[in-house]
Amino acid sequence: MGARSGEAAISARGLSKDYGQGRGLFGLDLEVVEGEILGFLGPNGAGKTTTIRLLMGLVHPTAGSATVFGLDCQEHAVDVKRMVGYVPGELPQLGGLRGGEIVAYLGGLRGGVDAGHVKQLATRLDLDLGLRFREYSRGTKQKLAVLLGFMNRPRLLILDEPTGGLDPLNQQEFYRMCLEARDGGATVFLSSHILSEVEHISDRVGIIRSGRLVKTARLQDLHEIRIHEIEIEFSGEPPLAAIGAAEGVDHVTVSGRRVRLTLHGSFAPLMRAISSSEVVDLSSHQPSLEEVFLTYYREA
Amino acid sequence: MLRISLRLQRVGLIAMTAFGVFYGLIQAAAYTRAAGASAAERLLFAHQMEQLGPSLSYLLPLPVHVETLSGYLQWRVFGALPLIFGFWSLLSAAGAGRGNEDQGLVELWLSAGLARWRYVAARFGSFVLVALAATTATALAIYLGSLPGGSGVNPLGIAEATLALLAVTVACYGLALVAAQVAPTRASAAGAAGVLLGLLFLLNSSSRAVAAMRPLVIASPFHYYDLSTPLQPGGSFDLLSTLGLFGAGVAFTILAGLLMGRRDIGSPLLAVRPRSGRVESLPSTNPLLRLPILAPLYGMRYALLAWSVGCALEAVFMASIGHSMVTLVQGGGAFAGYLRVAGHGDPYAAITGFFWYGTLEILLAVFAITQVARWTADDNEGRLELILSAPISRARVVAERAATLLLAGAIIVGVSCLGFYAAAHSNGVNVRWGDIVVTWLVLVPLVMAFAAIGAPLASRLPRSTVIFLTTVAFGSYLVDEVAPLLRLPDWALKISVFSFAGHPLASGVYWTGLWILVSISVAGFGLGAILMQRREVGA
Repeated sequence: MGARSGEAAISARGLSKDYGQGRGLFGLDLEVVEGEILGFLGPNGAGKTTTIRLLMGLVHPTAGSATVFGLDCQEHAVDVKRMVGYVPGELPQLGGLRGGEIVAYLGGLRGGVDAGHVKQLATRLDLDLGLRFREYSRGTKQKLAVLLGFMNRPRLLILDEPTGGLDPLNQQEFYRMCLEARDGGATVFLSSHILSEVEHISDRVGIIRSGRLVKTARLQDLHEIRIHEIEIEFSGEPPLAAIGAAEGVDHVTVSGRRVRLTLHGSFAPLMRAISSSEVVDLSSHQPSLEEVFLTYYREA
Repeated sequence: MLRISLRLQRVGLIAMTAFGVFYGLIQAAAYTRAAGASAAERLLFAHQMEQLGPSLSYLLPLPVHVETLSGYLQWRVFGALPLIFGFWSLLSAAGAGRGNEDQGLVELWLSAGLARWRYVAARFGSFVLVALAATTATALAIYLGSLPGGSGVNPLGIAEATLALLAVTVACYGLALVAAQVAPTRASAAGAAGVLLGLLFLLNSSSRAVAAMRPLVIASPFHYYDLSTPLQPGGSFDLLSTLGLFGAGVAFTILAGLLMGRRDIGSPLLAVRPRSGRVESLPSTNPLLRLPILAPLYGMRYALLAWSVGCALEAVFMASIGHSMVTLVQGGGAFAGYLRVAGHGDPYAAITGFFWYGTLEILLAVFAITQVARWTADDNEGRLELILSAPISRARVVAERAATLLLAGAIIVGVSCLGFYAAAHSNGVNVRWGDIVVTWLVLVPLVMAFAAIGAPLASRLPRSTVIFLTTVAFGSYLVDEVAPLLRLPDWALKISVFSFAGHPLASGVYWTGLWILVSISVAGFGLGAILMQRREVGA
């Protein structure tokens, strides 16, 4: 299901947080439409968590502003958080409290929690709320974090690398929960460095690098701008001059009548360049989203 | 590992060295001012101290030959330091035995190929080294402080007394390291070690006044420390006891290493097995968890219980020895005039209450510091971020902290007051109920004021707060100690936070001080709320 053309669930304008020495977030302009899942991709230290902390009102911007459903994240932080379910990358130490006590306590801070919904989530995640937090494994702690984020059926889910430590079965369950939340009208802001999970469930992707948003695109569009590794075998002499001059062609290597190249963007210029020659064989390898992602970083 | 261990203990080393040096220097330097310069003045001073000594015997050994600087140092300085260094050793051992494990550091070190016995040995060895440094610095300060007095304190005597101090500190560390193996968290390790060492200390100190306790003192390391009196004229250094204390420290450390080898990393030795059977998938139905103030109070229920019981025991102990203390003091006559007017004409109530109150003040300051440490840990360890992800304001976080502390302080002080009231009456000390209520009303603002000093810092500089607050508490304690000795003016005494609480059982309510405490509380938490509003969380 695609994004709905509703109001902006998240809107950031020139949002910046300068920690000095080039660290932080700089001039983020981003809009997340209500009802979509936005995958926020970036390597460690790119600024994903800083963005999330700014949206949650935990840190103050050095410039710019952000709103959630029209409410300023700083001035109306409490109202914003009423609509947000937050899953941190890792839960802090909560010692001797049992899982069920943590749910009750944090649910109490939100004015109550639907026990039936909690039970449903715990069952889906195969999570025992009767154990003490210190008895939980890392993965089980993360399941609890996921439950805490989803338990109030929020309008907006802000998820900071939420699948770390989850086993593949629970990852799949988590993806289903995200998709169900979106189908139920919720918006999901999913920060991750795991490309496969973003590819799995996102409607759109934002790529952040060194604190700057370098690309936002629909997943489909991102596929379209993929880099293609192309190998062409000609019956005669390859038209190297025309190929080299074609738009988007790069890294051309020749081996006899066989030419290897990298193509950015549309195939049309290359097709025009080789149209006067007889092509014996042409193969194109479509890189994964991961390779696209790495290309963005390699080019930085 | 030894180098890492030394690095982990640098804050303790700096704090204890600073405290030891300051305390030793001031006490030694103050002797002439306190005791007088002539032989006659010093004899009179010694006579007064010998009268006062029994009443302080729950903390200090009995004074002997305090007409000499050497005797005074043995009593007043080397008598008090084991308690302070023992407290440090238990905190350090709790950190080594559980704290670093809670942080995942022990797992990291062990996975790097370090054997458990080597880990324990390195922690013990590093503590011995830092304790040696701190005690040596303290000894040098005492020696330097004693020089202006011209009384000729024997440096060898100071060295021997310092060696005994190091030995008892090391023995306490070993004991606390053993206690840490059975505790599930750092806080519980510190609590378990605190209870154990506190009982051993009281066992030894109560034997000074209660003959029936004397056969039991062989179990207390503090008894073996007391056997060495190298500075006291006519005293001696008990080499065997000192070596025994070092040996006990090593033996307890070996035991701690063996216990650590038998338990799972991340679990205590006597871990309760997780219950098997039905999987729970519903949130807790405990109503306390859903209510503001009561939820955090529920979270600290074990600590609250331990503090309440500890303070009640302190009250009962003080009340039970109070009657005999006052009788002893009255017998000398030097304080008879004061005793006639103190405590609404009832010296028993006044003096018993005075000592109970003074000790409780220090305990409550420590409690307040532990609560501020809890707030800073909430921040440093990410719990504040989790709480603030819920729709609550930052101001509410500070307000809830204050309200929870108010309630917890009221409970602890209340239980202590009840314990004191009951024990005093059963020992023939007629404490008035109204005075107990007034005491309760004064001590709760003292707890709040101490924590309020830390509240703005906890919001702004969480990592430095506990060190600063501990300095304030120690500073206040030292001002209380040295201001009368140095005959400092009244305003100097007022620097101490404790001075604002007055002594309601002995001299009535000090209203100005009470209002100052309330003002500090309101201003501190108010400023804390403002700074919390402005600060970054989790950054």
